[in-house]
Amino acid sequence: MSLDIPRSTAAPAAKPRSFLHENPSVLWFMGLLGVFTVAVTVLSEGFGIGMISTNLVKVLGMTLCLCLIAIAMDVVWGYCGILSLGHFAFFGLGGYAIGMWLMYARTEIVIRDSLGRGTIPPTELEVSEAVAAQIFGVVGSSELPLIWTFAGSLPFQLAMVVLVPGLLALVFGWLAFRSRVTGVYLSILTQAMTLALSLYLFQNDTGLRGNNGLSGLQNIPGFLHVPQSVLSVWFFWASACALGAGYLLFAWVVSGKFGSVIRAIRDNEARVRFLGYNVEGYKLFVFTITAVISGIAGALYYPQAGIINPAEIAPIASIYLAVWVAIGGRGRLYGAVIGAAFVSLLSSWLTGGGAPNIDLGFYRIVWTDWWLVLLGLGFVAVTLFFPKGIGGVFDYLVRKKP
Amino acid sequence: MSTLLEVSGVSVTFDGFRAINNLSIAIGEPELRAVIGPNGAGKTTFMDIVTGKTRPDTGKVLWGERSVDLLKYSESQIAKTGIGRKFQKPTVFEDQSVRDNLAMALKNKRGPFSVLMWKASAQDEARIIELAEEVGLSERLEDSAGILSHGQKQWLEIGMLLAQDPRLLLVDEPAAGMTPSEREHTTDLLKRAAKTRAVMVIEHDMEFIRRLDCRVTCLHEGSVLAEGSLDHVTRNQQVIDVYLGR
Repeated sequence: MSLDIPRSTAAPAAKPRSFLHENPSVLWFMGLLGVFTVAVTVLSEGFGIGMISTNLVKVLGMTLCLCLIAIAMDVVWGYCGILSLGHFAFFGLGGYAIGMWLMYARTEIVIRDSLGRGTIPPTELEVSEAVAAQIFGVVGSSELPLIWTFAGSLPFQLAMVVLVPGLLALVFGWLAFRSRVTGVYLSILTQAMTLALSLYLFQNDTGLRGNNGLSGLQNIPGFLHVPQSVLSVWFFWASACALGAGYLLFAWVVSGKFGSVIRAIRDNEARVRFLGYNVEGYKLFVFTITAVISGIAGALYYPQAGIINPAEIAPIASIYLAVWVAIGGRGRLYGAVIGAAFVSLLSSWLTGGGAPNIDLGFYRIVWTDWWLVLLGLGFVAVTLFFPKGIGGVFDYLVRKKP
Repeated sequence: MSTLLEVSGVSVTFDGFRAINNLSIAIGEPELRAVIGPNGAGKTTFMDIVTGKTRPDTGKVLWGERSVDLLKYSESQIAKTGIGRKFQKPTVFEDQSVRDNLAMALKNKRGPFSVLMWKASAQDEARIIELAEEVGLSERLEDSAGILSHGQKQWLEIGMLLAQDPRLLLVDEPAAGMTPSEREHTTDLLKRAAKTRAVMVIEHDMEFIRRLDCRVTCLHEGSVLAEGSLDHVTRNQQVIDVYLGR
């Protein structure tokens, strides 16, 4: 057969190795995500036999968004060694950016509807004043804050989903990395940023409705007639696509020489400098791109959650994120997905009243009280006994080729 | 032979301790130079200053034909202008393969975007194989660097240094932990490299230095005590007192 031509010995030993061939876990992940998406669709109320409730579809869609921010966290922490305790702030900012449009546009539709019933059509000024009064009545104001100027424009707010987290990460990262702040000091600095942002958003003067946050985000302007059972599946699909695309992007970023350099930075950044690499530039690149992906994840999460408030941005959320990635296994993208899905679903099961309380006779274990203790013990156990996390199990299953 | 690196009047103090005291030293291109001296003489600190790790209090470090002031550059910029360094303790990236370690050191564009798009060209691939052969790691290309022996890690680091294709190689105790035949190989390699570049070697092993057969600089208390041929330096009474005599 003509296929048996011996390889030319003069050719250099460069083997053409394709990206997917080198990273079989990517194909596995994509396959499983596809199967999961189809399964949820078939079982949903909106498109299938209705075995799983609309509410559960939303929980699963939100979980996919959490998996997306978890892989971003894994790249910045597990691969590049920057323990950021601020990525949930970027997630929240993405949510706020899209939430402003959702809230403004929907309120505008409702206002036009009610004002339009009068004999004289309302002027634009009347509409915008009524919208402002409707949205900000709850914080005792009727003025539209400056940052809401373009809230009625979907393209503008979509751009903000990417730009606000991206620019904040760029400026913050530039200042922090340039001063060579590393390790635990950098973690504290990112946490301080998160706390400051959260406290800032709690103020009514900020113009984002203070502790009330933005609500009613599950109603999508233009699709107000579409039932939630259908919308929830749409968002589930969007979340699955975003997770798939994010996974591919990060798998590609960490697989080649770039991945090699950032892992080297994690292990010994001084040595990487002496090889001629601008370590700060790499850190800034990784910090910013993961912040942008976190913002996108947030923009998909909050329309499914329906509400966003400053408590979501509190430092504890970012600490949870680090815990998910640690439990799932750092330095492998599927580990982050497993950790985020496993811990967040377990958390909603145990704290949402799904798990039966255990009566020991002398004491009643109420899971809503004990969940955090369990999580803490789990985290300590994983750190001490299974530093590779749940994902480490796959190392035993897959024998590495010699 | 023209002067490649000129260090003049450099002093540095750590918490009142004068590690480098008005040190002036120059190296040409091509040239092989051995640096000896007792512990604490400032040999490693001197390399730290040249590579940008330590900033001196006073003095000048000038580089190349246009006499650029290296003190204004960051570590990575200095490395990019053509100064490569091998550390005393071998520092390779242990959880990455020998191939990845070498690929990272290869002389290519260093910016994040170029590296993101980088694909090994046939030329890069051939260079990696050539380097691996040079340092005797051809069979270990796909192994992770962490499982190499101490001597092999030394070799890998030397390979990475050559991959950078620097004009000046600063080599800190390359022969530590090597067998006699490996030492011989190292000597050959350094001598060959010094035919086209400037090479500075810190070493304690006088046999090793004798084989290098080059100009020797002896440092003591942060400044040059003696400089010249090995015989000239070893005959110097001060050198015998502070270093050889012990």
